[in-house]
Formats: sequence, structure tokens, C-alpha cells
Amino acid sequence: MKVLLIVPAYNEEGSIEKTIESISKANYDYIIINDGSSDHTHAIIEKNNYNHIDLIFNLGIGGAVQTGYKYAFENNYDIAIQFDADGQHDVSYIDKLIDPIKNNKADLVIGSCFINKSSNNLRSSKIRRLGIHFLSNVIKLFSGKRIHDPTSGFRAANAKVIAKFANNYPQEYPEPVSNFEILRYSNLRIKEVPVKMNKRTAGKSSIHSWKTLYAALNVLLSIIIISIRRKSS
Amino acid sequence: MTNIQIEMTIATIILFIIIMTSLKHNSMSIKNSISWLLLPIIFALIAIFPNPLTALAHWLGFETLSNFIFLVTIALLIVLCFSLTLTVSKQQQQITKLIQELSIMKKRDKKDEK
Repeated sequence: MKVLLIVPAYNEEGSIEKTIESISKANYDYIIINDGSSDHTHAIIEKNNYNHIDLIFNLGIGGAVQTGYKYAFENNYDIAIQFDADGQHDVSYIDKLIDPIKNNKADLVIGSCFINKSSNNLRSSKIRRLGIHFLSNVIKLFSGKRIHDPTSGFRAANAKVIAKFANNYPQEYPEPVSNFEILRYSNLRIKEVPVKMNKRTAGKSSIHSWKTLYAALNVLLSIIIISIRRKSS
Repeated sequence: MTNIQIEMTIATIILFIIIMTSLKHNSMSIKNSISWLLLPIIFALIAIFPNPLTALAHWLGFETLSNFIFLVTIALLIVLCFSLTLTVSKQQQQITKLIQELSIMKKRDKKDEK
């Protein structure tokens, strides 16, 4: 099975080399989507001759990741994995992540750090955990199914999901919104797999504490709008 | 001529000149100009027929003609603003797709060169 790692990168000069080295060492295909970085990310990519696409303008995380899915679709990959450039995700979990797809148990697999309490995480503040818990409940309310870590950016998609995302992918807060759409409006199966996430080696998270509330409400609104849209069409 | 008629005449002329100049210089498409031309047309109607419009305003419950003009103008601006937002949203989607497709194409070209 052809596996591709989609690595979106926006100003990741401090961590991109380490991340790509770990991927190359594990012998996976990857594509960096350089989302109009204004630091030295591009220079580092060129210097090391990393496989990459330069977006001609900054699109934001949704548009960048979707570009990766389009690339995966055009190049006939069987599995595409979203993999952060900032060192949060660990290549050693990829086998576990793609296992359910290989065994035809799931179409989309989420690497989750909340699925069991022991695999605790360094990645979140209290308010962030609260926000994620809130979203988990919102998705349960609207779809009837529980996802423990709906905002996880560590996901593996099979060919069906790749085709779907290449064609249509939410531009803002893409993970929780697309997870919800798949749960509620498709026959595709989602499975969560416990993973541990690392502390970021460099850079800053794109979600800051006081923005968590704003983000959570935004996702709630998106989910409500999608529900209305789907009902009327 | 009442004051309001003079003001409306001036407003009509200025708006009309601005819209026509933009059209002449091709900085506004004909399709988009039509909704904007409604505004000077309404102003002109007020300048030419103030009395029947005042009667209409009173009948609709407005105390003065000027209040009626405000309401109609604001309503028209809301419609224009909303349609602009629709256009911007659509163009945003189109631009996103263009950026993605073009960036992927550039990548493909580079690979072919090697």
C-alpha cells in the first residue's frame, strides 16, 4: 500500500529538518506543503531537497492540508496521513494508525491522546482540554457518535476519504468539522487509536488559550450550519 | 423648488457621474453597475415628484420625506452589501482552488524538468 505523509508547514524553520529526517529514516513518502512561510522554512526545504509544494499565497491550515490530499489523490496513494511539522507527532505511531485501514476496519483513523486517560498528553492546557471536551460533546449531540479527540491533526485517510477531502475540505478548523461531516453524512467509518504526542520542539501553537473559546464556538456554529445545509438539500 | 429637491438633484448628478466614469474606465462591470444605478434613479424620482412621494411616505407612516429617503437608501445599501459578501465568498473559494491547482502544477513542472 502506498502511504503518503502530508506535512503542512507554516514558519517551521526550527523543527522542519528534524521532522523530515525522522520521516525519511522510517522510509515513508512525504509531501511538505509550504504555506507561504515568511521565515527560512523555504530555504531549508530547498537546501535539503525535500519533496514539497510551495503554495503561491498563504491559504491557512485547511487549504494547505487539502492541497496535500489533492496531491495524494493525483498520485494514487492508498493512505494519506496528516503529520505536523512542529515535532508533535511521532512516526513510531504511524503503523498503529494505518493498521485499521489495512485491515479494512476503518476509512479514517484519528490519533487520539484522550481515548484512554493513561496516555496522557503534554499538549494541552486545562482550558484547551475543556474546549476539546466541549466539541466532543457537540459532535456526540449532532451525530450520535463520540470522538474523544476531534481536533487531533494526526489522522490517516484511505483512498475513499482522500478523494472526498481532495474534492471538499473545510477551510477553518478542518479536523473537527470534517470528522463531524464524515460521522453524520457518510457511511465512512472513523476509528480512534491512542497515541502520545510530544511537546512542540519549536514554534508556537496556532491555537492560543483565550482563542480556545472562540474556536470552540466557531466549530459549533459550523456544525449547526452544516446540519441546516444538509437538511435542506 | 424645495431644498430637498435641490439636494436630491445634486446627489443624483454626482452619483450618476461617478458611476458613469467608472463604467467608462472599465473599472466597474456593466452587470454590477445596474444595482448601483438604482440609487440615482430613486434620488431623481424624489427630486422630480416630491409631492406624491411625500404622500406615499405619510401613508406608510413616515413623519417626513427625508426619513423615508433614509430608509429606502439604507435598505438598498444593505442589499448591495449582502450581494457583495456573496460575491466575495464565492471568489474566495475560487481563489483557494486556483492557488492549490497552480501550486500543484508548478510542482509537477519542476519534477518534469529534472
